[in-house]
Amino acid sequence: MKKYQLGEFEEIVMLTIAILYKEAYGLAIKNEIESRLKRNVSMGAMHTALVRLEDKGYIRSHDGEPTEERMGRPKKYFQITALGKKAMEYSRETRNALWGAIPDVSLNVKFS
Amino acid sequence: MKSNPPKLSLRFFRWFCHPKLRDSIEGDLMELYEERKLKSGKLKADAHFIKDVLFLFRPGIIKPTEGYQNLNTYAMYKNYFVTAWRNITSKRAYAAINVFGLALGIACALLIFSLVRHHLDFDKFHAQADRIYRFVTEEHHGEVEYSPNVPPAFGKAFRDDYAFGEKVTRLCTLNDKLITLDENGEKRKFQEQVAFADPEFFEIFNFPLVAGKADGLLREPNTAVITGQIAKKYFGDQLALGKIIRLGSDIDFTVVGVLKDIPAATDLNTEIYFSYSTMKQYNDWYAADDAWGGITSEIQVFTRLQPGVNPTEVEAVLPTYVQKYRPKSKNVHHYKMQALSDMHFNAQYGGKMSINTIWILSTIGFLLVFTACLNFINLATAQAVTRAKEVGVRKVMGGLRAQLFWQFTTEAGVIVVLATLLAFAASYTVLPFMNEFFNVTLSLNVFSDVRLLLFLIIVIAAVTLLSGAYPGIVLSRFKPVLALKGNLKGGPGSFNIRRGLIIAQFTISQVLLIGLIVMFYQMRYVNKMDMGFDRDAVVMVPVGSRDQKLNTLKTQFEAIPHVEKVSACFGSPASENMWGTSFRFDTRTEAEEFPIYFKGGDEDYLALFGLELVAGRNVTASDTVREFLVNEKAVLKLGLASPEDILGKFMYANGGSIKGPIVGVVKDFHDQSLHAEIEPIFITTPRNFYNSYAIKINMAEAATTLPAIEKAWSAMYPEPIYHYDFLDDQIASFYKAEQTMLTVVQVFSAIALLIGCLGLYGLVSFMALQKTKEIGIRKVLGGSVPQILWIFGKEFSRLVVIAFFIAAPLGWLLMSQWLTSYVYKTEIGVGVFVLELLIILAIIMLTAGFRSLKAAVANPVNSLRSE
Repeated sequence: MKKYQLGEFEEIVMLTIAILYKEAYGLAIKNEIESRLKRNVSMGAMHTALVRLEDKGYIRSHDGEPTEERMGRPKKYFQITALGKKAMEYSRETRNALWGAIPDVSLNVKFS
Repeated sequence: MKSNPPKLSLRFFRWFCHPKLRDSIEGDLMELYEERKLKSGKLKADAHFIKDVLFLFRPGIIKPTEGYQNLNTYAMYKNYFVTAWRNITSKRAYAAINVFGLALGIACALLIFSLVRHHLDFDKFHAQADRIYRFVTEEHHGEVEYSPNVPPAFGKAFRDDYAFGEKVTRLCTLNDKLITLDENGEKRKFQEQVAFADPEFFEIFNFPLVAGKADGLLREPNTAVITGQIAKKYFGDQLALGKIIRLGSDIDFTVVGVLKDIPAATDLNTEIYFSYSTMKQYNDWYAADDAWGGITSEIQVFTRLQPGVNPTEVEAVLPTYVQKYRPKSKNVHHYKMQALSDMHFNAQYGGKMSINTIWILSTIGFLLVFTACLNFINLATAQAVTRAKEVGVRKVMGGLRAQLFWQFTTEAGVIVVLATLLAFAASYTVLPFMNEFFNVTLSLNVFSDVRLLLFLIIVIAAVTLLSGAYPGIVLSRFKPVLALKGNLKGGPGSFNIRRGLIIAQFTISQVLLIGLIVMFYQMRYVNKMDMGFDRDAVVMVPVGSRDQKLNTLKTQFEAIPHVEKVSACFGSPASENMWGTSFRFDTRTEAEEFPIYFKGGDEDYLALFGLELVAGRNVTASDTVREFLVNEKAVLKLGLASPEDILGKFMYANGGSIKGPIVGVVKDFHDQSLHAEIEPIFITTPRNFYNSYAIKINMAEAATTLPAIEKAWSAMYPEPIYHYDFLDDQIASFYKAEQTMLTVVQVFSAIALLIGCLGLYGLVSFMALQKTKEIGIRKVLGGSVPQILWIFGKEFSRLVVIAFFIAAPLGWLLMSQWLTSYVYKTEIGVGVFVLELLIILAIIMLTAGFRSLKAAVANPVNSLRSE
């Protein structure tokens, strides 16, 4: 059984939240992912991921002040929780472990 | 700069989005939209916006349908029930009045429901019942007469001539026939209703066999089918198949089938069926192919039409029979088709239950429940003030109006459910008595009866809403500040509505009361009415034969001590057994337009029944038709000026076979029940038509006279079964069905009145409680007891009088309508209404008086001592 459930896209979102630190709100996260990873992120996909992560308890949110460019809607800022941090570390460790277990020759084989 | 993304899209988003996410996501959308608009223009930004919204339409973001605030409402609902229960137990008297009133109403509604349903279910259990029809005849002579029969030859002719009927059956039902069983020389006799039926009878009607072969049942002559019940009665545990039963004294039938017992809900309740092919042995004329001359109440014809055949198509071809077989009858017969579903309800064609009665009963059932609801509403709104603080607190704590409304409705629901349980127990107890009274077998079983269950659920729901809704609205309307301050006085509006409700209730009560009084008057009128002949102390005994023995026995009867007079006759002067015939009078060449009805009787007939002659003389003794008597109505209908004019003239009846001179005219007497008008009749002396002896005895000596009559009769006729009836019982039986119905209507109306009284009592009690202080102050200031009683009295008498002016015309209209079914009827005079008003005032005084008197005589010290 998996200890922590974390999907690939979810992991990316969490990492981005960590990068943005105090400035992690919906649109910022989307823009950050798009600029760093050069991939398109739809609002729907991202918000669903955020909802799911919050449900799992990996991130928590608080409302910021409403601003004018958002038509008076508050920004919702996200923050990694301790559990979220553990999940990220777990994910990283398992990958490192897997990387470490790859015999050198494996990836050097050339198929020509 | 103001941004305006596509409105529709935004509205869609706001509609579907989970409220918790709505604001932040919408903010993101807006920000992004602004950015895009600056970068690539409004059009692109719009397109992206729409796309984003569409991508957001996914499970994690859409709000869940079952509500997103997962509050635990269990405690709240529990509290509703707790409050309801506390209210019931703390105000026991009101709760009892409510529960008892509703229970009474619902119990009656349940009983009426089962009775009405029983009747609506009649003959519904046959396959393709909607295609089954009975052929009936309208006889047009002057007025139209309806009979559920057709000429004996009709059935066979229709089956042979037309393909409309999938199956056609004749049914000849005979009452009180002698059945003899011969077991090893020992004879057992029974009197039964029997019927001759075609084999198709059992194919059309769903009467399954439990023994015997269904194929070709009753096809063979001299075969019989009996029910299991009859088989048990006749043969006990022996096998019934193959046994011989004898009809009358000479026709033997072999039992070839045993039917499952006939269900209660059918009018075809004969239990012994004989093969129609044997009819010739029983009655030549009934079996003849040319028997088109007339109709008899014994023969009926049923058919199940082919699918898709419209009965009007069939009716359209039927007149050809009249042209073909009755060329000289002046087109009197019109054959029609009557649907099976109409059979039980159409009184014209002898239906046992008029659909009107069903309606009256249903209406009364509804009114019963309705008055109980009105009680509830009255009491609940009257007491609304006492719940004001509760409402105030609930509202302050954030209770919504809708929630309060449902709380009070729940409370009503609790009371209604209690009442329903009580009602069910009550109706269950009463049901056996009702079954006996109506001679039916009704049952109330919620677990096996879906319709009953449905009815109960509907009643509970409807009564809860009806009685709970208005108090709920009133109570939930209270303003919390005023309610908590405690200066709430119910508001004038609600009080007027309450008055309206009381008026409505009084109106219903008074209409029912008027109905009761008029019905009572009419029944008394019918019972007291002079039928125009003596009916006391007359015993009717059947004749055993129609030969010389008949005369001998008559002489023997006359010799019995305390027998005052004996007459051999066709029937009593008033009898349901009517035989009408067309006739020709004097030298007129055409037959008269109207039929004349036959009353046979010997020379003692007039004297025995006390019939008066207005002209001419009595008939002389004879065994055959020699002379005629007619009644005044016949003289009138023939257009003669005076009774003397008819004397000595000849009349030719029954196609000329009965003819003779008219020697006397009798004063009109009622020759049927009072539902019917007096018909023209003639009396003559053909011995071979006599059915009964009418024997006038001295009632004081009946105990010795009756056995002596039986002894003489049995000595003369050892074979048949002897029985006797008193004539007044026979006449009373004309009205038996409606007496039964009337009793029911009366009982239920009385219960409705009782429920009304209950409510009134509750209301007065509450008023007395409210006015305790007012009464105390009045008494201290010198008010007398009558003055204080008048505080209560004036309010109610005013409402009663208003209700009276609504109820009186309504009652008059309804009851005049009801009376139209009687030809001879009582008047609805002023007296009825005066009596009604007096009764209702008396009832109100009785119910309200005691309670208000108690309030009025109370010592003011007690009521004023504490504030």
